[in-house]
Amino acid sequence: MSVAFELRGLTAAVPGEKGAVRLVEEVSLEVRAGETLAVVGESGSGKTVTFVSALGLLPKPGRVIAGEALLDGVDLLSLEPEALRRMRGARIGMVFQDPLTGLNPVFRVGDQIGEVLRAHRSIGRREMRERAVELLARVQIPDPSRRVDDYPHQFSGGMRQRVLIAMAIALGPRVLIADEPTTALDVTVQAQVLDLLGELRDAEGMAMVLITHDLGVVARQADRVAVMYAGRVVETGTVEEVFRAPRHPYTISLFRSIPDIEAPAGTQLAAIAGSPPDPARRPAGCAFAPRCFAATEQAGCRVERPVLRGERHLAACHRLGEPGVAA
Amino acid sequence: MSAADADTELLEDTAARRRATLRRYARHPAFVSGAIGVVLLVLVAVFAPWLAPHPPTRTDLMNTLSPPSATYWLGTDAFGRCVLSRLIWGTRISLQVGLYVVLISLTAGTLLGAVAGYVGGWLERVLVAVIDILLAFPSFLLALALVAARGNTLDSIVLAVAIAYTPRIAAVMRSVVLTIRPRPFIEASRAIGLSSWTILVRHVIPNALPPVIVVATVSAATAILAEAGLSFLGLGVQPPTPTWGNVISEGQTAITTRPLISLSAGLCIAFTVVVLNLLGDGLRDTLDPQMRRNTGKLL
Repeated sequence: MSVAFELRGLTAAVPGEKGAVRLVEEVSLEVRAGETLAVVGESGSGKTVTFVSALGLLPKPGRVIAGEALLDGVDLLSLEPEALRRMRGARIGMVFQDPLTGLNPVFRVGDQIGEVLRAHRSIGRREMRERAVELLARVQIPDPSRRVDDYPHQFSGGMRQRVLIAMAIALGPRVLIADEPTTALDVTVQAQVLDLLGELRDAEGMAMVLITHDLGVVARQADRVAVMYAGRVVETGTVEEVFRAPRHPYTISLFRSIPDIEAPAGTQLAAIAGSPPDPARRPAGCAFAPRCFAATEQAGCRVERPVLRGERHLAACHRLGEPGVAA
Repeated sequence: MSAADADTELLEDTAARRRATLRRYARHPAFVSGAIGVVLLVLVAVFAPWLAPHPPTRTDLMNTLSPPSATYWLGTDAFGRCVLSRLIWGTRISLQVGLYVVLISLTAGTLLGAVAGYVGGWLERVLVAVIDILLAFPSFLLALALVAARGNTLDSIVLAVAIAYTPRIAAVMRSVVLTIRPRPFIEASRAIGLSSWTILVRHVIPNALPPVIVVATVSAATAILAEAGLSFLGLGVQPPTPTWGNVISEGQTAITTRPLISLSAGLCIAFTVVVLNLLGDGLRDTLDPQMRRNTGKLL
């Protein structure tokens, strides 16, 4: 399968008191058609900023200071604003975290779906409505021909997320970016929405990026995974590789902190001590070093930024392959 | 529950919601009395030629400054013109001024405020500065100066008052837009590739309108008052055209002997201002979801 969407060295920053504060640094990722790439990391690790930047939607005064975002080989970041606007929604869709407020409360659902079509194609009112009904049916809204005239408040959270997904896929984009699409939904609805996304990806041959902090979602849905920490990708590989043998100490700690249902009662939950660094005050070396169980002075953890190393399963750690760190 | 049951329930739910909306308006005494008052005024203005017992500019020199009588219900002014007829015709001018001023200042103020609030940056700073300067300047003086410069036709009065009221609407609009701009559906609109202009017109403005409509309703009242004030000062629509301000001004000369002339015109203005304010208050309460929760169940 061909690479549909690729980030190369994407770096985005906001101006700070002492020069630019880098929110994300040198993020390189790729996702192929028909494949799901999960991007995991805790809040503030730069998952959302990465993709919002790639779409040219980073709010001012933030801006991308380096890197490329290639959609079928075309760098989105070098496009004129108008050309980039035409790409958004048509070639690359994005679904956001909060479905409850993601729809405009004062317009009918059908009109909002139609709006995507109208923004990119010349289309009549009747055809717009027909397409909106079709799309509601595609995202498995029951009785779509009637629900199309309802307002967002008449839809449940899960249904609203389906509507937002319908809007994102309306024009058959090459890439769908889903930013924590199920975080605001309850567990049974989460599974339905994730299954729907998987079905749509297969049916349309879309490339899908699934931003999440839920490792369970990753295991269930994704083909490949990229782990982000403090604005950087620290490990990437297939879900199987990363889950079976995590290589970066951060990933290893993440897996250790998943509560084990088999553990005897009274066992302390494992946690990673400390908290992620403030983007304006990241340590000089590896950003994870202050919290890392494997960091040592000799390895240069506190001096030098580690780079991603490895063949297909990459990790950015100075101590890769050394004793004390999993291979 | 079968699907059909769920369907009927849904339909009933929608109908019930619609009824609840109507009830919410109907149960608000200020809204109802304000609305009735405004409708009455509009009817009077529209049917003025049929309602007025005499032509408003016809002089009856045999009966100047006559007290109320069967022929002249509110008496006549110094030129022997029927006061009641002049008041009835005057409704037209007052309501026209109110309507046009609101239409112009609502359109201009909404656009300026929305652009300032949504676009931000230097454009916002410039617009806010202009709005603040206009707000700081006494609006009546501004209108007075404009009318003095352009001549006192109905057009220039409307324009003058509209320019004076635009910054109020713009200021309210901008502050509401600032609360709407960070909402997720705006970000979602950008992600589906809508242009800034489309987002502004389709998504930002409709959500910001309720409070602005309330301000506009109250502005209509003050605009009518401003027009009457200009007329009173002789800078309004020129006599013998019947306006409420003109009637007050003309009645002034006889205020000691025939106070009813100025008083009746003053009451017309007061009535209009009060009903428009009631309507504005009613709209504010019914359009505000917080209030809605207090008055009845919804959502």
